[in-house]
Amino acid sequence: MILVTVGTQFAFDRLVKAVDAAVGAGVVCDEVFAQIAGGWRPVNMAWVDSLDSEKFSAHVAEADAIIGHAGIGTILAAFEARKPVLVMPRMKRYGEAVNDHQVATAREFAARGHLLAALGTEEVPEMIKALLEFTPAKRTASGATIVTRVKSFLESVSRVG
Amino acid sequence: MSRTVTSRRLKICLAASSGGHLSQLMKLEEAWQAHETFFITTGKMVVKHITERHQARVYAVGESNHNHPFKVIRTFVRCLMILLRERPDVVVSTGAAHGCICSLLCKLMGGKVVWVDSIANMKRLSLSGRIVRPFADLCITQWPDISANFRHTEYHGQLI
Repeated sequence: MILVTVGTQFAFDRLVKAVDAAVGAGVVCDEVFAQIAGGWRPVNMAWVDSLDSEKFSAHVAEADAIIGHAGIGTILAAFEARKPVLVMPRMKRYGEAVNDHQVATAREFAARGHLLAALGTEEVPEMIKALLEFTPAKRTASGATIVTRVKSFLESVSRVG
Repeated sequence: MSRTVTSRRLKICLAASSGGHLSQLMKLEEAWQAHETFFITTGKMVVKHITERHQARVYAVGESNHNHPFKVIRTFVRCLMILLRERPDVVVSTGAAHGCICSLLCKLMGGKVVWVDSIANMKRLSLSGRIVRPFADLCITQWPDISANFRHTEYHGQLI
């Protein structure tokens, strides 16, 4: 099963339409399930508007691969579940985001081999085929140092006397 | 005569928009789990999960960003009501707009602010982060170049 997700906040029709067209054209043989956040309704794949945290985690766990917007929530979920992920960044010029931080995110993580990125809809069919063969490079960041810093700060605030 | 220093449990407001901001806040759990916490997030679909997993109060204030001033005002009023009732010692936030609002309000009420800018902002601090940085007690970026270019920001690696 391939999970398509556009995140919790806003629809992302450009991605959903491109994936739906690819499914209709036979690029994908697997079952595809899309979470669309109230946007354009697919005709070639099953869909739902939203998934609560547990259902989302369950779908991620079950998926063979993930296609999504280049949001950190989606990317983090894919990394933690060790699933190959293809992202398309939302773009400011299409009114999809307030700025182009998703483009930078997509490029940065793709350059390090952690995910695949399709910057435009024309790239989607080819990148879906690549996704099915993709083995991501593992991330080594753990957050331990940030946690230590925040923890020690909070301890200093909590000390009285 | 020596002074006795003890620790008290803080009341911490954890503010993060649902999605990637919240995912990153949860990576900081070990830092705040010893204290009393409550959450302010944006979307309702994460409320049940947070309540069950963390046994904490969760408030959902709706989405807002700087392109929708009325939504920002609505969010401001909701956050103000919550913080007046809860009176946190500290706000820990990974963004976004309502995190900025809660940070400002907490500071005005005499509290402390910890801001951890989302890893998604790799060229410069987010807009919210830039607003909060001058008065944050701890401001963290996840990119070393940003820390080098913005005073009063610290870099300690990345959360993901």
